Amino acid sequence: MNPIFIKSAIICCPDSELLKPFGLESIEVDKNLIPAAMRRRTSLTTRMAITAATQACIKAQVDPSILPSVFASLGGEIQVTDALCRLLPNPDELLSPTQFHNSVHNTTSGYWGILNHCQAPSTAIAAVDDGFAMGLLEAWSQLQQSPGDILLVCYDEEWPQYLAAPIGKVALACALVLSTDDNVKISSCSVPQIAASAQPLDAEWCELVKAAPAAAAIPLLQALKKQRSGLIPLNIHPAVWHTQLQV
Amino acid sequence: MQNSSPAISPVAITAYSTVNACGVGNQALLQALKNNQSFLTPLTLFEVNFSTVVGEIKQELAKIRPELAAYQSRNAQVALTALNYETDGLKAAIEVAKKRYGTNRIGVIIGTSTSGLYETESAYGYLLEHGDMPDDFNFVTRHAYQATGRFLQLELGLTGPCFAISTACSSGAKAIAAGQRLIANGVCDAVLVGGVDTLCRLTLRGFSSLELVSPNPCTPMDKNRTGISIGEAAGLLLLEKMTEENQTCPRLLAMGESSDAHHMSHPHPEGLGAVLAMQHALNAAGITANQVDYLNLHATATKINDAVESRAVYSVFANKVPCSGTKGITGHTLGAAGALETIIALMTLEQQFIPATTGLAEVDEDCCCQVVAKPLFNQNIQIAMSNSFGFGGNNASIVVAKSS
Repeated sequence: MNPIFIKSAIICCPDSELLKPFGLESIEVDKNLIPAAMRRRTSLTTRMAITAATQACIKAQVDPSILPSVFASLGGEIQVTDALCRLLPNPDELLSPTQFHNSVHNTTSGYWGILNHCQAPSTAIAAVDDGFAMGLLEAWSQLQQSPGDILLVCYDEEWPQYLAAPIGKVALACALVLSTDDNVKISSCSVPQIAASAQPLDAEWCELVKAAPAAAAIPLLQALKKQRSGLIPLNIHPAVWHTQLQV
Repeated sequence: MQNSSPAISPVAITAYSTVNACGVGNQALLQALKNNQSFLTPLTLFEVNFSTVVGEIKQELAKIRPELAAYQSRNAQVALTALNYETDGLKAAIEVAKKRYGTNRIGVIIGTSTSGLYETESAYGYLLEHGDMPDDFNFVTRHAYQATGRFLQLELGLTGPCFAISTACSSGAKAIAAGQRLIANGVCDAVLVGGVDTLCRLTLRGFSSLELVSPNPCTPMDKNRTGISIGEAAGLLLLEKMTEENQTCPRLLAMGESSDAHHMSHPHPEGLGAVLAMQHALNAAGITANQVDYLNLHATATKINDAVESRAVYSVFANKVPCSGTKGITGHTLGAAGALETIIALMTLEQQFIPATTGLAEVDEDCCCQVVAKPLFNQNIQIAMSNSFGFGGNNASIVVAKSS
């Protein structure tokens, strides 16, 4: 099966100190990427994901107005959903129509398309601990059918800890521009597959993934930075999905 | 316009089943379609302070086995009820597929808009009173988007890729497309796909806040339509790679997808995203517009959605393809709608009939496509399309064909 090429990879984590042990740098959430009128309606999770996605497109030199996209998140707009759920026990409480349409899982995907005037297909997936692995699989799968570039964004914001602690203790988004285009010599990754781990998973990484599902992308980003080929884990619980990175 | 070669390999649809307001199993839905009979009734599952009718499942639901009790939700139960309904043969077909291909070659991709949110809503009542969630609350296995898909994977002992697609009202359709791709790309030999959504307070009250909920059974494409009726359903389909054995099964030809890039909850006024989705679907299937014999509309019965969709359909098909909207029977089943209405499209191929636009009395002059008001029998349906459009401007059009 054909590998796909990685044109760029970006992490956005408001608590950037957490990435230092992994030798990775975070970019800061750039709220100015979104016009004020739209910004008022978007959550931190959307702003964080859009920051990572925008920087990934700039670094990859791709045009976001024609770019298909895959958004993967465990909880999506969980803060918006939480705020609405708190109103529901009172039958007379009116819900905000804007908050309601902003509670759907594809909210970030929708705003990304509006922001970039992009009519290309965009999807929003969820897969608990396998979100990054399944996002990469879906992006790979779409590229096999429609060669070119695609954006993959994995993200989850901070959550109320009564929901599913420790998930949501840390907000983190990562964005990759993936491509079938190998005109320039860049790294490639294989279709994700379940494989026995060559070595034990890094304990510090596993702890961070439990709090921030999108941190599952960290080993891939570390290997890209160090330019080290190998079998890269994409999630922390068995069965572990891997991709073969070739730099 | 010349036929082009398909952009994706077709896959066989070897079994399917649905549970919805009409009842349990395919036959209940088929009878309702043929009888042009609405199953929209007053809401009994919970209370709301406005007047509405819904497509509520009244039948007893299958019980989750104790080993998988963590996954208990109405959503998972509705899915299990469809899976277990023996007459439709879905579970039996999956068991055959497991033996034929192996469990790791079978994926599960389920679309949903709210998953197990209904149970979480009750838990919030407890949270506000006691300061913490009740002991049996489990966000990941009940509420999270992939909970129902993961439950089905565990229930069936499958070990291939498993994820949820949640793009509001196009979720079920997009899940079918993702399944076809995994087979076409050789990752899977079979994929259990579909959509499952169940009634909950957030959805009812949210759509009410948008002033889109009709007090009466919805009347898609009607001059006097007053908004949507919400429903609940599971629509599950088994996709398999094409083989000698399944050559008499209907086929999924292709899916077209697009984004409006316009507004989170209003469609593009000219329906540009919808046009793109239908055109992409035709191109990917390698067919022309005049080869489509029936189109199941998204047709939610809001003023703007129906007008925009009919304009989009007209610009792709003129008024040459018979169209109907079936939400007057089942209600708008949201994340399940794309899968449920793909099943309806399959029924038109198998039974050679066109369902009515139930509830329609007088076609709105704004609705310029060829809207079918009464069921039409003895038709020649070889290829059918189904439209699904969701919040976020997320559009999907699916094309299915009779076996040749």
